[in-house]
Amino acid sequence: MFDFSPTQLQLTLANAGGLCAVIAFWIYVLSNANKNWFKKMQALGGAILLVAFICLTLTIIMRGIAANRFPLANLYESTLWFSWAITGGYLFLLKKYQAYQLGWLAALTATMFLVYGSWLPGNQQEVTPLVPALVSYWRKIHVPPLIISYALFCLSGLAGLIQLWFAGRWRSLIIAVITIACAITAILLGTYTEIETGWLQLLFVGSSIAGVLLAWKSLPVVKTDRVNQQNATTYDEISSRAISIALPLLTFGIISGGLWANHAWGTYWSWDPKESMALVTLLSYAAYIHLRIHHELSAERLSIVSIIGLLLTLLTYLGFNSLGFGGLHSYGRFK
Amino acid sequence: MTAFFSSVKLTIILLAVLAAFVLLGAWCPQISQAGLDKVIEQFGQPMADVLIKAGVADIFHSPAFLLLIALLTINIIMGSFKHVFPKLRLLRLPMPQLKSEQISKLPIQRTIVLRQSMSAYKNRLANWLTKKGYSVRIDDNYLTAESGKYGRLAPTVTHIGLLSLLFGLTISSWTGFSGFRPAAPGESFSLGDAQHSRLWIGTLPQWLVRINETHREDYDNGEAKQWYSNVSITDRNNKLLKNETISVNNPLTYQGVDIYQSSWSLKSLKLHFNGKQQELNLQPMGKLFAAFLPLPDQAVIIFSVRDQHSPLRIFAKRKDWSAPKLVNQVLPGHGINLGGVSIVYDGTVAQTGLQYKCDPGFPIVFFAFVLIVGGVSLAAVPHRQIWAYLDEQSALAGNNMSVIAIGGTTKKGKQSLARQIEAIAEDMNELEIHQGKAMVSRITRSALGELNVGADCIGPFINGSMQSTPTLENAVTVGCNDDAIPNIRNTSNRRNVLDR
Repeated sequence: MFDFSPTQLQLTLANAGGLCAVIAFWIYVLSNANKNWFKKMQALGGAILLVAFICLTLTIIMRGIAANRFPLANLYESTLWFSWAITGGYLFLLKKYQAYQLGWLAALTATMFLVYGSWLPGNQQEVTPLVPALVSYWRKIHVPPLIISYALFCLSGLAGLIQLWFAGRWRSLIIAVITIACAITAILLGTYTEIETGWLQLLFVGSSIAGVLLAWKSLPVVKTDRVNQQNATTYDEISSRAISIALPLLTFGIISGGLWANHAWGTYWSWDPKESMALVTLLSYAAYIHLRIHHELSAERLSIVSIIGLLLTLLTYLGFNSLGFGGLHSYGRFK
Repeated sequence: MTAFFSSVKLTIILLAVLAAFVLLGAWCPQISQAGLDKVIEQFGQPMADVLIKAGVADIFHSPAFLLLIALLTINIIMGSFKHVFPKLRLLRLPMPQLKSEQISKLPIQRTIVLRQSMSAYKNRLANWLTKKGYSVRIDDNYLTAESGKYGRLAPTVTHIGLLSLLFGLTISSWTGFSGFRPAAPGESFSLGDAQHSRLWIGTLPQWLVRINETHREDYDNGEAKQWYSNVSITDRNNKLLKNETISVNNPLTYQGVDIYQSSWSLKSLKLHFNGKQQELNLQPMGKLFAAFLPLPDQAVIIFSVRDQHSPLRIFAKRKDWSAPKLVNQVLPGHGINLGGVSIVYDGTVAQTGLQYKCDPGFPIVFFAFVLIVGGVSLAAVPHRQIWAYLDEQSALAGNNMSVIAIGGTTKKGKQSLARQIEAIAEDMNELEIHQGKAMVSRITRSALGELNVGADCIGPFINGSMQSTPTLENAVTVGCNDDAIPNIRNTSNRRNVLDR
């Protein structure tokens, strides 16, 4: 007999959302295999991702009903929101730009975060009572914009990767992908193993610095026969568009956090590691905006900046929990 | 010198260096926040010494960081007045009217030849642009359209917000104060020992804060749900000025001073040993509180309690025991006999941690926050300008033919604008098809790597060297790039081929 309780329903819906994201990923990937099927399969992939988005929306609502509170209080719930936001953000960009190649990366990212969330330790998934500091309406104002901005920054970085592909900067692209893979590995090891966090911090930060520098230095290497300037321009624009929406959300999230802290503890800012890291992310995207407006860098270099932003976003969102940093925002901390 | 301090390059360098400093500060626990012990615990003594000497363990108070903040402040102020605010004048200026030659220099532009009079189409174009959110102006042969005009306000609003934030924080720093005070019920304290900046022109209130009662509310599983303190404000003669129960996220405000429920703990145990009252100080031990009573021969009695209502658990620990042993437990108000000693557990004394703050600059800071969020949000609005010109002087004009030059510019969303201009051309095409006439389209390569039918295709028609009627087929056969052909034949396919 099927259990229709909100707790069971939210689990079933989350699984359905994840399954749809996996199917959409493969449809998007396979759509590139045959030019005749391309349009139909891309449309199908978008439709299935829309189903995933609806399932995740319902999952979040059911989670809220099951927990009897606003469902954004631990790491598992934040991964649901992140997957929901990255799916929704992609559907928005799809409608606006027909950005099909971003589809498989968006679907893959949503799947990865759902799997990451479902494999978290029990204490990070269960509905647990809130500590006094979190019992506030400010939680509903402060946290969702941040998670949505993180998802959009990720989409921007992924669009940056595709931009490098279409711009023929394959060497830079490969280095950037390896760099992101190293950063994700550090986070996964930090989450699921007992490896000394110092080494993991070194892996994340070291590979990020080395990878970004190498990718930057490799930009002059171009596969001229594979350049598709029009698509490269489109994905540069998509990357910029995602940032232009995410940056106000991040700014609002940080400022509302300051106002919450002021309301609760009488101080806007306390240089807590996570809030400092969010500020680093904000500063890096503020630099991106200035670089873009004043035409200081080429589209390919801006793509590398958006990938730096993606790495900083990963560090802000998951790195500080999984790599052993402390602070006031350690609700999702493992070690 | 002024140019250097107001330059965008300096802004970008400062933002990057500042981000690196903040990253270091986030990575290394800060002494002022987490304490020296945390730095030593995380890195070990030798590494901690290096970090402390290098200033990394207190980076947000280091001269280098403060210098960066000062430089950024100067950069924001000078950049705002030199580059950002002067651009406000542009908002008041109407769009200039451009002719064909000027439009042809725009990054996104097309010239379209129609075999009909343009007068009817002008209104159709204006309606189309209005529907797309443009404000349109038609003046004889000129058409100008603009959308997202207020998006141009983004830097101005953001910079006014940043300057307001600096002003508000300066006001708070010069006149505000703050402090923290742990206190037990019955205790009173003044705000005389509040902390404030060295440059300070504020005054401290004379009234007192009295704690009447404090307690903790728990969830069913025993976890803390909320902390409450009943607080009174009294004058020096003990006259009540205000009374309120505060909790986390719910402060008391009196004469511009906010008093916050910041922390909560149990301060001491109240016990009777053989009828003699004694108070033992409690120490926080994770979720529990414990008091230690040393006995001879290195033995110790440990009293452990979770909250005000839970039983007191009594442990004994001897030197030769690997772990403490639970001896007994007793509820508040009850007693036991332990080795001939009568112990009565009267209860616990709670202690509330109160943070207080006076922040006269808050309204300005709040206003600044609103401006910053508003300004950054405006940056997402793309500002687009479109010009169209009916060129009656063109070689193709006359003989029931119209030549229209249309182009646009934007800093954000160039592809979207290119698509809009293309849609306009397509709309003209449809109009022609409805009326059974042919169209020739001249599409000039733009900065976007757009379509590739260049002046070579249309040149012969324009300069009159080709006598035949200009048609699509002719345009293609004079040597256009094949890639552009599907785009000309069916512009609606462009989106679909985008990802190929």
